Amino acid sequence: MVLGVPFIGAGRAEPSRRPRYGGTLRVEIGAVVNSLDPAVTPGNEEEAAAKEEIETLLYERRSADGSFAGTAGSGPFRIAEWESGKHLTLAANEGCSGGRPFVDSVEIQMGRAVKDRLLDLELDRMDFAEIPAEEARRAAERGIRVSMSEPDDVVAIVFVAGRPAAEDARVREALARSLDRAAMVNFILQKQGEPAGGLLPQWSSGTAFLFSPAADVSGAKELVAQIGRSAQIVLGYDSGDSLEQSLAERIVVDAREAGLRVAAQALAQGTAAATGRDARLMRLRMRSPHPHAALGGFIAALAPVAGLDAAPLAEGASAEEIYERERAIVSGYRVVPLVWLPQAYGLGARVRDWKAPSAGEGWPLADIWLEQESP
Amino acid sequence: MTFRTKLFVVFTLALLVSVSLIAAGVTVVTRRVFNTLNQQHSEALVAQFEREFARRGQDVDNRVQGIADAEATVRMAIDLSRPQADVSVYVNDARGVSQSHQLDFLDFVGNDGSIISSNEWPARFGYKMDWVTQTQDWGPLGSFLMKVDTQDGPAVGLMAVSTVRVGDKNLYIVGGEKLGKDFLGSMVLPAGMRALLYLDLDPSFQPSDLLDPSGPVAQGERFASFIEQERAVPREQSFRILWTGDAASAEVFHALPLLGRQKELLGVLLVGSSQHEAVMLERRIAVLALGVVAMGLLFGLLLSWWGAARVTRPVRRLSEGAREVTEGNWNARVEVRGVDEISRLSSAFNQMIEQLSEQRERLVQAERVAAWRELARRLAHELKNPLFPLQTTVENLRRAKEGSQEQFEEVFQESTGILLSEIENLKQIVGRFSDFARMPQPEFAPVNLNELVREIARLFEGQFSAVGRPPITPELHLEQDLPLVQADATLLRRAIENLVLNAMDAMPGGGVLMLRTTHRDGDVSLEVSDTGTGLTPEECERLFTPYYTTKQHGTGLGLAIVQSIVSDHGGRISVESEAGVGTSFHIHLPSKSTQRAEPGASAEAAIPETPASASTEVAEASAEKAESTESVRNEGA
Repeated sequence: MVLGVPFIGAGRAEPSRRPRYGGTLRVEIGAVVNSLDPAVTPGNEEEAAAKEEIETLLYERRSADGSFAGTAGSGPFRIAEWESGKHLTLAANEGCSGGRPFVDSVEIQMGRAVKDRLLDLELDRMDFAEIPAEEARRAAERGIRVSMSEPDDVVAIVFVAGRPAAEDARVREALARSLDRAAMVNFILQKQGEPAGGLLPQWSSGTAFLFSPAADVSGAKELVAQIGRSAQIVLGYDSGDSLEQSLAERIVVDAREAGLRVAAQALAQGTAAATGRDARLMRLRMRSPHPHAALGGFIAALAPVAGLDAAPLAEGASAEEIYERERAIVSGYRVVPLVWLPQAYGLGARVRDWKAPSAGEGWPLADIWLEQESP
Repeated sequence: MTFRTKLFVVFTLALLVSVSLIAAGVTVVTRRVFNTLNQQHSEALVAQFEREFARRGQDVDNRVQGIADAEATVRMAIDLSRPQADVSVYVNDARGVSQSHQLDFLDFVGNDGSIISSNEWPARFGYKMDWVTQTQDWGPLGSFLMKVDTQDGPAVGLMAVSTVRVGDKNLYIVGGEKLGKDFLGSMVLPAGMRALLYLDLDPSFQPSDLLDPSGPVAQGERFASFIEQERAVPREQSFRILWTGDAASAEVFHALPLLGRQKELLGVLLVGSSQHEAVMLERRIAVLALGVVAMGLLFGLLLSWWGAARVTRPVRRLSEGAREVTEGNWNARVEVRGVDEISRLSSAFNQMIEQLSEQRERLVQAERVAAWRELARRLAHELKNPLFPLQTTVENLRRAKEGSQEQFEEVFQESTGILLSEIENLKQIVGRFSDFARMPQPEFAPVNLNELVREIARLFEGQFSAVGRPPITPELHLEQDLPLVQADATLLRRAIENLVLNAMDAMPGGGVLMLRTTHRDGDVSLEVSDTGTGLTPEECERLFTPYYTTKQHGTGLGLAIVQSIVSDHGGRISVESEAGVGTSFHIHLPSKSTQRAEPGASAEAAIPETPASASTEVAEASAEKAESTESVRNEGA
């Protein structure tokens, strides 16, 4: 766990100096953003997430429903150069109401693979990049500055409504009981996350400890014995997400140990649909650190797939009500939370005053400054 | 079939059998040689596989040991030997290490048997591999076959285990190569042979588990029964598969079971040897043999024909000579050439014919003399009886002449009456001989045989019950609706009367005379039976011979005349007799005589060159009990 530990593996000490203006912040992202037009729908989830991060730099504020208000360039940065799908240069907005960013410009290279990003970070050819949480430990071991957020992504098995293979709740429960979430966190996430028994993490809801993530293989086997021979469950995962693939493969092993037959199949990268699959892995990010908003976002995303009650939480719902709703979702085993993941960021040596964003917040690139090399 | 043809056939068959035996022998020897070669190839391939297997095993063992000896592995072992060691950092190590050491399977296994990192199934980290910890020292065991669970399903691997020991804790390195089509591809096979590998990965035989170097074997299901046998009892065996209806498509497989550490079946290596070349060679030999046979036969036919003709020529001459002799040419002689057995036979034949001819001449002469003597005896006998009263009467007349006129007149009247009577008797004797010598031509007309028999019975009624002799009872059994026969009524009457008279003579003490008519299949039969003393078999045989008689005063012509008449009507006569019971004569006549024998032919044959005797009737004289059947057919003889 890295809760409360914003930096791990800080191979280079951050000198205490006063902020300085100027410089170009070099950013690399894995996604390919083809359009910054708000009217254009992104092609996949990764592009949507990256586009949203860029928009937080271009727009001044969010509206109540989460969409951005104002015009592009009203935020801390404006678009200086745009090459669709490849390169974006943002220039500091001198007239930003929140104050001018410290850096003069931000250069964003799109479509960079994880290993390239890590290599560039290691060679100090880049200042900022998102990296997979499961790579954070190794990155730190390689001397890269790594920053971790609070766990705000949840990965869960979502059983697709109407699929006969998983209509028996005992099958779903048996699968949920068979899963060794601790092993997933320790080995696959390299301890950069938490086993998830519920949808909301402990730091957000304060009730996560009430949802046990422990494996119960004997209980799962008993259920399987009651069920008899069940149909194979086809579990889909995002082919572009290596973490999902690893988790899906581990689920297959755990299920096999319990006597269930699960087959992992890749879905087209970034697609939300799980056509022909009985279940799929979904990776959901909290919109807000607040449990009400976070659970509301999860419900909105999960309900269409799992056939859950899509009714939003009542305004001002109490902590108990939020817990009950979360319990209702989890106890039906249509959604089986697996792990909570933090956001991991790789930072260059000259980046100063970095603070990992909270759930729902964008990259705070306007707040960081760059250590200038001595002339 | 002539002797020459027989000889020709024998020669040809001998030739055919000889050539066929040679061809069959060559084919069998060729087949055996090919089978031996195939077996040697299979054994060589199996030996090659075993060598390759051992080499690969050693190679795998070395590579796994190399991993164990690597510094990174030792460091891993040291790290893992610490309390509360974090094994998660090594979870992905197996993949990279296996790639660098070119191993398909690689697992790092902790001291407790938990998988730390797995290449073939990365997600199995944390699960136990207990079998690894059950062996203390893996070093001497070398490589072995094992079924390996992988992410893509079970596989068979050539495995090895090495151990890195730090303190009291072991780090096990389990590595291996996958046994599959790549392994087969590395084997060097001679032309016409192939190696297949069956991996026993499923509960029952699956064709997809049978591989050749390119992948699953086509028509793999054809191996099902053999593989199931191996699954039941693993052992080396050979079997043959005929892929199509053509024998050339056959393939002989040698199966080598691949066993694991617990002697469980993990796979079967199949070394296949195509029979195409062998079958084609056999066919070529067969075609060649057929050609040789055909040529040999053709040549043999000609040679046999010529040889048979040459060998049988003297025999044919002998045969022709014999035929000429049988046709009556007693002057026929066979040409004699050379000094071989046939020549000696020909000389003997000629000599034999000369001797036979001389003997025949003598025999004919003797028979003629005997016949004339017999005729003279008969004539003398027949004529002597009337001559004696004639002589006595003439002497009486002469003595009476010396007496009174009245007495002479009385004697003269009486003597002339006697003389006339005896002269008449002499005329009758002469007439009978004359009749036999010149039988009249039959004049055919429809004759009711029943009516004819009734007339004869009426005619003889007086004699049957004549005073002074025991009565004879006639019995007539005449079949109704008897068809008419084409016959000369006069001659037929004469024949039946002769048989009736014979019967009466055979019953001097009286008896029953039965006359029976029947018909069947167009033939009409007449049976004349008596209850007399019967005849011996010898008498039955000679009964129809002219001049043969058993009676004191018979001419021996009566039954000969009967036989002649019956033959002239296209019929046949037979006799059955049993001593003490009686005699039956059977006359069979066709109802419509369409086939007529030459009239008189039978009589002429029956009386060839011997003069007739004076006797005219047959008598039943033998008192012995005997039964005999004699049939005389109308064949002109």
